[in-house]
Amino acid sequence: MISQEKILERLFVYLGRIAPASTPIHPDVDLIQELGLDSIKVMDLLMELEDEFDLSIPLNVLTDVRTPAQLAEAVVTLMEPANGTVR
Amino acid sequence: MAELYMSATLTQHALPQRLGDFPTLTEALDYAALGETGLNFYDGRCRLVAVISYAALRREALNMARRLHGLGLRRGDRVALIADTDYTFMELFYGCLYGGFVPVPLPIPSGLGAHDSYVKKLNGLLLSCEASAVFAPTVLLPVVQEAAASLAPLFVGAAKDFQAQAMAQVDLEPSRPDEIAYLQYTSGSTRFPRGVVVTQRAVMANLQGIIRDGLGVRPGDRCVSWLPFYHDMGLVGFVLGPMASQLSVDYLRTQDFAMRPRQWLNLISQNRGTISFAPPFGYDMCSRRVREGEASRFDLSSWRIAGVGAEPIRAEILERFADQFAPAGFNLKAFLPCYGLAESTLGVSFSRRDTGIQIDRINRWELEHHSRAVPFDGDESKASIFVNCGAVLPGHRLDIRDNTGHPLPDRQIGRVTLMGPSLMSGYFCDEDSTQAVIDQDGGWLDTGDLGYLSGGELFITGRRKDLLIVRGRNIWPQDIEYLAECQPDIRPGDVIAFLVPADIEPQVVVQVQCRLTDEAQRTQLQQSLTKLINSEFGLSARVELVPPHSLPRTSSGKPSRAEAQKRFLQQMQSLCGLSMAAG
Repeated sequence: MISQEKILERLFVYLGRIAPASTPIHPDVDLIQELGLDSIKVMDLLMELEDEFDLSIPLNVLTDVRTPAQLAEAVVTLMEPANGTVR
Repeated sequence: MAELYMSATLTQHALPQRLGDFPTLTEALDYAALGETGLNFYDGRCRLVAVISYAALRREALNMARRLHGLGLRRGDRVALIADTDYTFMELFYGCLYGGFVPVPLPIPSGLGAHDSYVKKLNGLLLSCEASAVFAPTVLLPVVQEAAASLAPLFVGAAKDFQAQAMAQVDLEPSRPDEIAYLQYTSGSTRFPRGVVVTQRAVMANLQGIIRDGLGVRPGDRCVSWLPFYHDMGLVGFVLGPMASQLSVDYLRTQDFAMRPRQWLNLISQNRGTISFAPPFGYDMCSRRVREGEASRFDLSSWRIAGVGAEPIRAEILERFADQFAPAGFNLKAFLPCYGLAESTLGVSFSRRDTGIQIDRINRWELEHHSRAVPFDGDESKASIFVNCGAVLPGHRLDIRDNTGHPLPDRQIGRVTLMGPSLMSGYFCDEDSTQAVIDQDGGWLDTGDLGYLSGGELFITGRRKDLLIVRGRNIWPQDIEYLAECQPDIRPGDVIAFLVPADIEPQVVVQVQCRLTDEAQRTQLQQSLTKLINSEFGLSARVELVPPHSLPRTSSGKPSRAEAQKRFLQQMQSLCGLSMAAG
């Protein structure tokens, strides 16, 4: 079972590559407003996550996601059924 | 559908092909169900995840029709379908038609953090169509319920849960040729959405034109699509069209395409697809995302119709795509530019097949000063280039008119007006908007677009309402936007140009989405753009750098110049108000 921390770690590595150096990256930073991610970068980010953790992220579950912490949580939720976790 | 073995539906089958010559969509499906073709759904890695033949689709749609009757819906009631790329959408859509109800495909949310804006938008759409039932994918139910809270529909739920609904034992009466087939919401503003009323007769007339005259569909064709089902090109072009000509379709979700554009090309290669459409940005995304030397891994030699529509067509984007994918066997002549709008169901004109992109290079000075399209082979910077969108479909008429409604001769630029059997009956419950675009005497539709005809073939030059008229000159905002987009650090879609009233003469405002954070670089960009626009167009524009994602877009993703202008003016007003209060 992959933890939320592990996903966050992965996210930070990716964000570190694309975000402006001047903006500190933390779990509650706003991906769009503060880090300035455009739709292509968001797509790249999701693709990295999909490939890394072998899952499919339907974009429409991300309507309430604004920060890395929220994204990691959404990903964990998506992975639960695949890992046989009973909710 | 956890089957151990799943295979895609066939391309060829024994059923004789009929090219959309049916009185209604349900009769078209009745016929398609006699064959072996159908619909195939793929995930983001091009793995087949669901298959439904037209035969199975028809069976399920008939069950859906009985379940919908079980809810107590009355004939003609609207059923909102939040349209993800999933076969349950088709089951419900055709279920509505078999039951005599009116399906209304509506968008799914997209993007991070879109919750509030989506709820607001969807609420407006549901109110506008007065939905009696609302279906949504399971994951979207909470947000859809929120949007439907202020209405009192008979049902809000997931298609999957609807399977348990009791089937009413009624004799089904499918919607007739003169009845509404469905409502298509267009890219109107969020506050005043407009639902295009499409009758069975109109959609069948348009489908027949698209299938027979536009695409020349033939046995052996296979469609591939990632276009959303709630968009007219996705719905009419790649859900209804293939069904009415009994073709198999391979679908990729729009989001999966956006994430991995190459999968579109993979799917065409893998299944020998022959017909696929995209707006120019779809081709552009592939060009940008395919790595060096990777093109030859695809086999695009089967692709005979690479349709292009839905936004202004820029030839060089398509030429770059064709160059890049020539090693994959892509044929430059497969490009098929076309023009259409939801108010005429979908298709209006298609360029000639097997000719590729035909451009017209005209004199920009004549264009701006006299609204004339005069062929020109001089200096590139003094030319404007437009793409040939072909002749209007048979049975329809297209005239270019001046502002007083008089038809204009060839190569004179004016309003594109249209008449024929594909025209909408009007906007749903919105007589004012309908009268604003369809003239009551002649039945001509004013498309809101500008263009000219040459030898009966159409060239679209822009949207009338967006035109920048400065000192009697007509300047196309696209031209200024394109100039700015060609600069380093600026991408297509990052720029919006519009006109605002000012003291002496109107002011051209150019807003540019900018990712630069360094103040010196920003100032430099702003200054160089101002200079560039000045030297090209001879006007001093007010160039503003704005944050990424801040420019307004229509629901189909096109830049909304009107909305940008409105916001700009509001901002100016509040600034004025502030300074007056302070003074």
